[in-house]
Amino acid sequence: MIGRGRARTPTRRQFLAGCAGIASAGVLGGCGSGSGATPPNRLNVWGGVPPGSGPAALVEAFTAAHPGTEVSYTRFVNDDRGNLKLDTALQGGVDIDVYFTYQTKQLALRAESRMMLDVTDRLAGDAELAPYLDRRNPTALWDGDRVRALATVAEPWFVLFNEAARERAGTPLPTRWTVPEFEQVAREIRSDGVFGTYEVPRTARIALGPDYWFTPEGGSNLADPRFVEWLELGQRAIRDGVAYPWTEVLARHLDAYQQNGFVAGEFATWVTPPFSLRYLHDEENYPHDFRVAAAPLPTTADGTGWDQGQYNNFIMINPRSPRQDLAWEFVRFWVTEGARHMAKGGKIPALGNVPQEEVLASLLGPEPDRWFDVDSFRRVLFDEPAQLYVDSNLTAYAEIDLALSQQQDLCWIGERSPADAMAAVAARATAAIDRNRKAA
Amino acid sequence: MAVIAPSGAPAAPTPTRTGSTPSVSQPRAWVGWLFIAPNLIGVLLFTLVPLVSVVLLSFTEWNLVSGFGGIDFVGLENFVDVFQDPAFWNSVVLTLVYAGVSVPLTTILGMALGLALNRDVPGRAALRAIFFVPYIVSVVAIGMTWLMLMNPSAGLINQVLGALGLQDAPAWFASSYWALPALIVIAVWSGVGYAAVIYLSALQDAPTQLYEAADLDGAGAWTKFRVITWPSLVPTTVFLLVTLFIGASQGFGLIALITAGGPGDSTTTLPFYMYQTGFQFYRFGYASAIGMVTFLGVLALTLVTWRAQRGRALHD
Amino acid sequence: MTDVIRSRHARRQRWLWGAPLWVLALAFLAPFAWMLSTAFKRDADAFTVPMDWIPDRATWDAFGTVLFGESSIVPAFANSVFVAALRVIGEVVTATMAGYAFARIRFAGRDTVFLLYLATAIIPAQLLLVPRFVYFQTLGLYDTLWALILPGMFTVLGTFLMRQFFVSQPAEFAEAARIDGASEWQIFWRIYLPMATPVMSALGILAFVWSWNDYEAPLVLISSPETYTLPLSLSNFTDEQGSLSPSLSMAASAVSIIPVLIVFLVLQKRFVQAMTHTGIK
Repeated sequence: MIGRGRARTPTRRQFLAGCAGIASAGVLGGCGSGSGATPPNRLNVWGGVPPGSGPAALVEAFTAAHPGTEVSYTRFVNDDRGNLKLDTALQGGVDIDVYFTYQTKQLALRAESRMMLDVTDRLAGDAELAPYLDRRNPTALWDGDRVRALATVAEPWFVLFNEAARERAGTPLPTRWTVPEFEQVAREIRSDGVFGTYEVPRTARIALGPDYWFTPEGGSNLADPRFVEWLELGQRAIRDGVAYPWTEVLARHLDAYQQNGFVAGEFATWVTPPFSLRYLHDEENYPHDFRVAAAPLPTTADGTGWDQGQYNNFIMINPRSPRQDLAWEFVRFWVTEGARHMAKGGKIPALGNVPQEEVLASLLGPEPDRWFDVDSFRRVLFDEPAQLYVDSNLTAYAEIDLALSQQQDLCWIGERSPADAMAAVAARATAAIDRNRKAA
Repeated sequence: MAVIAPSGAPAAPTPTRTGSTPSVSQPRAWVGWLFIAPNLIGVLLFTLVPLVSVVLLSFTEWNLVSGFGGIDFVGLENFVDVFQDPAFWNSVVLTLVYAGVSVPLTTILGMALGLALNRDVPGRAALRAIFFVPYIVSVVAIGMTWLMLMNPSAGLINQVLGALGLQDAPAWFASSYWALPALIVIAVWSGVGYAAVIYLSALQDAPTQLYEAADLDGAGAWTKFRVITWPSLVPTTVFLLVTLFIGASQGFGLIALITAGGPGDSTTTLPFYMYQTGFQFYRFGYASAIGMVTFLGVLALTLVTWRAQRGRALHD
Repeated sequence: MTDVIRSRHARRQRWLWGAPLWVLALAFLAPFAWMLSTAFKRDADAFTVPMDWIPDRATWDAFGTVLFGESSIVPAFANSVFVAALRVIGEVVTATMAGYAFARIRFAGRDTVFLLYLATAIIPAQLLLVPRFVYFQTLGLYDTLWALILPGMFTVLGTFLMRQFFVSQPAEFAEAARIDGASEWQIFWRIYLPMATPVMSALGILAFVWSWNDYEAPLVLISSPETYTLPLSLSNFTDEQGSLSPSLSMAASAVSIIPVLIVFLVLQKRFVQAMTHTGIK
């Protein structure tokens, strides 16, 4: 056999689990699991960011600071199937000490199933990590009164302006504005062949903030009128030719490639998170001839302004790891000294512990003034930072998310009215929440 | 290709027969088992064993992430839920339409193409390869090409339809009415080469002498096809109908890539619904139950097809 | 004179069928053409509508990155060849023997076993992923190429295809040979196997494609990059949001399609070759 036997240390529980799995598969008898241990100084880390975008440099810095340790970074693709790979590996007892979770639905399941080590006690008394224990402004995933995962990245959204289009329309760059003003600006700025915006802001989120799908009692909040208002806003903008036609979004899969349309000047404003900036200073692959400025997300008419984005990219320790102390060292390094390496890949550190100018420089590339109105980004990102958060009620997350995007599509291609669409979402959400409660 | 005898197996039963052999023309049963043994053992080991656990999982509630300790036995609850689930029935209808149209079309067009490619046409080898290309090219390339061809405003297909005078050309993937027909077109297009290759291989043992005799009798092309060609293609046709149908009730690659089940749930066929419940909602018990119900349904349909051809094509 | 007329007539006949087929062929080449053209494009130009078949600024960069870059597909290519070769050989051998027996040897329980066989093919493959993972992990095959090779060597679909072929062959040859005292192996080896080469070639092509493009089994059964097969290595060209880089992934797909085409072109000759000796001795 040419098989490369993977070294692993089966714990008693894994062993039993494996046997149970096989028994359920109808095979009894020897549970011949391979043995041989990973050396105690070697960490296995699974993350979704390609090694070259920061993790490789971070790992190098960690091993330099911890002589004698080794870190193997395995990259998984952050889509449904890539996450399945991680989940099967975690369940099957593959040696993983530290891993990342990016999507809320996986966060919910992995937390619920205790696939994350409780790190509350390790945080206590660590001054540098104190923000993670702040419950009013959460940057960690709380499970009751325990912390199980730490956000590594802040993902504030903003509104990008194609400066050429803005100047042509003579619209001043907004520094503080409301949703109705956004609609007005998008209307003004559009011109022949150029839409005002790609997609309207998610106004229900902006108005309702964290856990916006749920009432304080944990029931469905999707019957709230602000959801219908959001769909109406989008439908109106599309109908009037202000927002990009949703039929084209679906027919061209623009969702995953919005940058192509923005770079080609097909729409003048773009509501998006910071990672989109990397395309806008990549002359090689995304050539364009205009500069880009940033405005904050609009607030509701009465001034409420939650962000559309969240703290994200959660790092956590596998409770089955036999090297939890070393794993914690690594996690701590990632969010503190290591954050600098990830910032180079365009990640804004959750703890805000990298100098602002350094973050800005990595977000805006080597020639910031050529491509961007740098001051506008400094203002939006740092001078008046948006209010970020971490959702804590993750019940039936994947199902509600799907229902919402399905009905949003139907509504915005004009096949269903906003009221009917939201009624359908609310019904699905209630059913899914009930089923989850029954199961719990 | 060299076909070797399984090592260690008495591959060639010697002609020395014992008195218990019922008739000279009947081999003993163990010979048959010996022939299927290598395949059978492999299938049992690597397919059947994991498969049994799918059956068991269908009676449980399990989200994978909770580990094997988190498997809850729920009896028939999943099955009761499946039958009451409107999303399930929606996906059954979509799958029947999808398979019901695409499978016969693929088979018929594949046969026509196979017959055409079996003729002496210029560049035959290249043509065969070209028609097989959709079967081998990455799904991403296929999906993206068709998305662009079927773009409602600027796509080639609607431009042609417009030039032909059609005013309201379909919005294809941007419409919950046209998305499924569009997927059927793509399924047929990408399956035809596969069907043609299989038909081509089956056409090679067509009895030449019979064709020559038919030529002498002055038989027309249709008569030759009906009397000589078609009977030899029946088993192949059964194979294609069954495997294409199984494929249609399992395959979700193109759907996942092109429509992800939408707009709305207008292209959420059974396999995609199962994928959603399992891999997106992490309800593996429920997904397994959907799989089991699909299994029983397809099995019933396969048996019907099987019986239908039995009288016609089994020579034994 | 008549010969000339006949050959001209024959040539016209050839083109009468050939011309429409070639026109139709263009429609089948479209995705292939798009794949190639995208491989030479910049990512920003990949999805322009209407389609841009000839890139304004063609570049070989993507091929360089894919073949010689940091995450070169070459090692995965070698793994894929190894897996596909063993799977094709195993599948053709075991399926031909089993298919023959299911069709041409009568034995108790045969049809029941065969129907059970077919039934296993109906269970959706994606449901098997998780149980398979657990199983191979226990067998100690997780993260080895054998986890991909072994299940692929013994397939139900291949057996079904071969059975359907042998069923369509006359049973009289076997009966005559048995009366002459031939062993079952001799009947199979000398009489039926030679007839089956076109179908075996078709199965070989299909088995190769199935193995070559298999994404999901390697996804859950393989974890270390040294053991990656081609479809897995393509995931190196996705960004952290899970979106593919169109130019890199299409360049990789274009390279990865070459072996499939070679296998196809080599094996499809068997379809033609067989025609010359259809006369069954």
